Amino acid sequence: MQEQLQKIKQEFLKGLVEIKDTLQLEKLENEFFSRKSGKINDVMQILKDLSVEAKKEFGVLVNEFKKDLEEKLAEKKAELANEKLGNLIETESIDVTQPKLPKVEPGHLHPMTIVHNELEDVFTSMGFMVLDGPELESDYYNFQALNIPVTSPARDTQDTFFIKDHANWVMRTQTSPVQVRAMQKYGAPLRAVVPGRCFRNEATDGSHEHTFYQLEGIVIDKEISIANLIGVMKELLQGVLKREVEVRLRPGHFDFVEPGFELDMKCLICGGSGCGACKHSGWVETLPCGLVHPEVIKAGGLDPKEWTGFAFGLGSMRLCMQKFGIEDIRHLHAGNINFLKQF
Amino acid sequence: MRVSYNWLKHYIDLPDSLTPEEVAHKLTMSTVEVENVEKQGQNLEKIVVGKVNSVQKHPNADKLNICTVEFGEKFPVQIVCGGSNVKEGMLVALAGLGAKVRWHGEGELVELQKVKIRDVESYGMICASTEIGLGQMFPLKDEKEILDLTNLKLKVGQPLAQALKLTDAVFDIDNKSMTNRPDLWGHYGLAREVAALYNKKLKIYKTKKTVASNKAKINLEVKVEDSKLCPRYMAVAIEGVKIEPSPQWLQSLLLAVGLRPINNIVDITNFILYDLGQPMHAFDKTNLAGNKIIVRRALKDEKFVTLDEKEHQLSEADIVIADSEKVVALGGIMGGLNSQIKNDTTTVVFESANFEAVTVRKTSLRLGLRTDSSARFEKSLDPNNVELAINRAVELTLEMCPKAKIVSKIVDKANFHLNQGPIELPLDFLRMKIGMDIDKKQIIKILGSLGFVVKEKKESLAVVVPTWRATKDISIKEDLVEEIARIYGYNNFVTTLPLFSIIPPERNELRLLERQIKNILSLECGFTEVYNYSFVSPDTIKKMGFSADKHIELSNPIAKDKPYLRVSLLPNLLENVEKNLHVADDLKLFEVGKVFDISKPGQRVENNSDELLPRQNTMLGLVYSAKGEEQPFYTVAAVVVELMKKFGVEYLLEPAVEIEHKFIHPGRQALIKVGEDVFGIITELHPQVQVSFGIEQRVGLLELNLDRFLEYSSNKSKYQKIPLYPAVVRDLAFVVDKSIVHNKIVNALSKIDPLIINVELFDVYDPSANAQGKGKNLGENKKSLAYHLTYQSAERTLTAEEVDKIQERVIKIIAKDFKGEVRK
Repeated sequence: MQEQLQKIKQEFLKGLVEIKDTLQLEKLENEFFSRKSGKINDVMQILKDLSVEAKKEFGVLVNEFKKDLEEKLAEKKAELANEKLGNLIETESIDVTQPKLPKVEPGHLHPMTIVHNELEDVFTSMGFMVLDGPELESDYYNFQALNIPVTSPARDTQDTFFIKDHANWVMRTQTSPVQVRAMQKYGAPLRAVVPGRCFRNEATDGSHEHTFYQLEGIVIDKEISIANLIGVMKELLQGVLKREVEVRLRPGHFDFVEPGFELDMKCLICGGSGCGACKHSGWVETLPCGLVHPEVIKAGGLDPKEWTGFAFGLGSMRLCMQKFGIEDIRHLHAGNINFLKQF
Repeated sequence: MRVSYNWLKHYIDLPDSLTPEEVAHKLTMSTVEVENVEKQGQNLEKIVVGKVNSVQKHPNADKLNICTVEFGEKFPVQIVCGGSNVKEGMLVALAGLGAKVRWHGEGELVELQKVKIRDVESYGMICASTEIGLGQMFPLKDEKEILDLTNLKLKVGQPLAQALKLTDAVFDIDNKSMTNRPDLWGHYGLAREVAALYNKKLKIYKTKKTVASNKAKINLEVKVEDSKLCPRYMAVAIEGVKIEPSPQWLQSLLLAVGLRPINNIVDITNFILYDLGQPMHAFDKTNLAGNKIIVRRALKDEKFVTLDEKEHQLSEADIVIADSEKVVALGGIMGGLNSQIKNDTTTVVFESANFEAVTVRKTSLRLGLRTDSSARFEKSLDPNNVELAINRAVELTLEMCPKAKIVSKIVDKANFHLNQGPIELPLDFLRMKIGMDIDKKQIIKILGSLGFVVKEKKESLAVVVPTWRATKDISIKEDLVEEIARIYGYNNFVTTLPLFSIIPPERNELRLLERQIKNILSLECGFTEVYNYSFVSPDTIKKMGFSADKHIELSNPIAKDKPYLRVSLLPNLLENVEKNLHVADDLKLFEVGKVFDISKPGQRVENNSDELLPRQNTMLGLVYSAKGEEQPFYTVAAVVVELMKKFGVEYLLEPAVEIEHKFIHPGRQALIKVGEDVFGIITELHPQVQVSFGIEQRVGLLELNLDRFLEYSSNKSKYQKIPLYPAVVRDLAFVVDKSIVHNKIVNALSKIDPLIINVELFDVYDPSANAQGKGKNLGENKKSLAYHLTYQSAERTLTAEEVDKIQERVIKIIAKDFKGEVRK
């Protein structure tokens, strides 16, 4: 029996050495391993007729023998496959620097959307609601409710688009009307930001637009102080800019706040030593803000004796231009695909 | 406004160690924004007084001379000069090498180098006044003229800035930062602020007591018809005036603040304008008819020529000053040409008055006439300054014209009341607003330094507002908080954070939906977001087939060609397509924005008003166009399918029976509906409209109302268990009449048996849509559709037999209901 196995093995190994390709290997495999006519099967047949003990003894032997040959066969197979793969560099090489064709152009968000998304995320994480209001606003909400009566010279500084046949309608010149709408709707305490589109009737050039974006913020609560305003604005700017900032307040006059401020931020480019970006002052004018005027709180349906607050206006369009280094404000509304696909 | 540091120092003693820059910074931090500090003479370095020793013709140039100029050194310099008036012995401004000049008074400063001009060396330049920034002080009479300093008898070699006493520093204050502060529009008011900031004493504004002559030669009368429009009017006549240039000190101050000296009388009124912030006017008495001055409203269409020689048509809304015959001044804005001070004027009438802010502002806006005077009156000036001003004017006139005499009463028509409080300022309130404690004594001191009169009470202060702050500026206790806080210094504040609740904010569902949709469209579907203006042109409206009446119109559009507010995002998107197809073959664009619908009610105009603003829905507009794409409809529809699926909206697509607008392709359009509610449309652009937009390929369009979409969206992905048993997929192709629509087939087939879990179209062959293959094998008006039918059971593995049975029923129904013939 053993002799027979040895003989088969030698025959198999001999055959294996001569094999050149897969076809020959398949033939060899068939010759030895075929269930119907393979040489190994022949040996198995003999097992059937043996005694139980002999079966046991030889069974183990035959199995090992079979396993041995199978391994050798697998090795040869792998060797052949490898040989074939070795040629891939010649047969299947591609130019990996070539782009996929036809080109698939991905879509893009508008840079203003990207900026507003980021701002909204920061503010919602700090507990602010995100609100919006009508872009065509009433004179009442855009001006009067904000303590800007019909006779106020402050109206001159906000070149307003008026609506034909509706003397008391305007295109909102600021997102501030939503301060009053929000108080009326949600009452107090209130924390909200209003990102949105505003309009000013001024000639468009590289740095002026008649259509622009602001992010208004309002906080109404009890006993809100100037000291709070400075503290919160600092935290907010740090949240938005994702870095440590230093701020300072200067007086600034806006009818809907009292007192009103211009908030400057220490120049992020030179760190305060003075450079072109901050006009060599070390500080960059960042946003107007102030404590909400009692008349505005009243217009919001709240009692100014009980409720106080602060408001601020962030020029999100300027922020967008700074963030991406956009040199001409007109790009933002030009609908030019070569501009838009960069974001 | 330009402010002279020397002028401020007339009213406060500031130590020399303090620099103008420091004062400017302090003002910026506590009062008004000083945008720039300009040191006079800072650009006059290396420019000295020179004396021309000799002048010789340049051998190679007709208009040039070669001069030798002496400048206090051992040897004179040689200068090539083109000045038309250069002559020997002349004193000139000599700019040496390294000096900075502005060529011909234009452009940037240029540093002088040694040059050869037509082969002759020149070691500097003899300057014109405009080339060294002295154009106002020495106006050019001739374009080629150099500055002639001979008459000033200056010392040769002396630095020019020193010789001309140009030692002032001038602050440039942002006017916008003091719109609320009428008191700061003159140097005295600003000096008060500086005094408060540096804890110095402000000098009292002193004028000599004006004594009117007893035997008034001129019986000057003033009649104010409406004291609301003119709360105070003072006038006085002075004779024996000699018109001549004003003294040097006055000229220097005026030049420093950017005013050109004219003559003594005009300069006096300008001085007071910048000193007290009180506008004045001087009339030539000989041009006034009679002795009566009337302050009245203008007559309708009354004509008037102002000092600047412009004629204006007035209205009853304007305030005028008139004599018995004519208008002589536009109240608070500008005097008239007919009565202005001339070189031979000998008797003047000074006007010092107060006019109502709103009226002045309206007139000046309407006539486009913004003057130094109107800018001040519209801030609401203190009527008390009227008296100070006229007294000062008389004092200065008498000083400058020794022969001048007051020849009338000093008329004073006054009827005004200022609300000076007192305002009750509780100390608790102050502490709460400021967020920290400030010592009571310091509070009182700060208020006192600004002119407030404070009376201490137990827990509060009673604060009387000074007249110059009481016209409008300060009326409530919050205003006082600002005064105290800003003088105390915001930089001295200790910042604190307020305590806020941790309840998460209410979500803005629409805004979140917008963001999700934008992300899906851009990140998944390959569309690019645009932002377009909210305005459209009548031409575009017409092209779209919209009606102009349904648009809201701006009464003052910036672009005359785009006066309408958009009712749809599509017109501007189509313009984007037209523009971009020149640079790209394929375009996928979208916009999310508001549109304006006058026919539907929106939010309230006021909280308690029934009047409503127009509806302003947030829309999604989308366009798709690609080269060679003949049916862009399907790409757009696929976007809709994607969006509806993501947000779980059960919707219907249904072609409109009646086409509403011209831009819609009647054969390729569908309304997006939930029930009977239409909230969107998919269409291709009508080929004719496409041509009118100048677009050369087909465009697919989508518009969707996101406010409504939000209502229908459930925003829940429906999870179904992964089936345990395998599905069987059978394909089925059949020929049907062209009019049979896919939707109906899917609906019918899906209902045949519950084991059919999906019916999916995978091929359409429509020979008529394909130019070459007219009717190949299919017959007239036929198309072939091919579907995958998926069979599956949740309970068992299906056998081929049971699937076959159902499939047979499917074939029967196709034959019966759709007259379809299965292709084998």
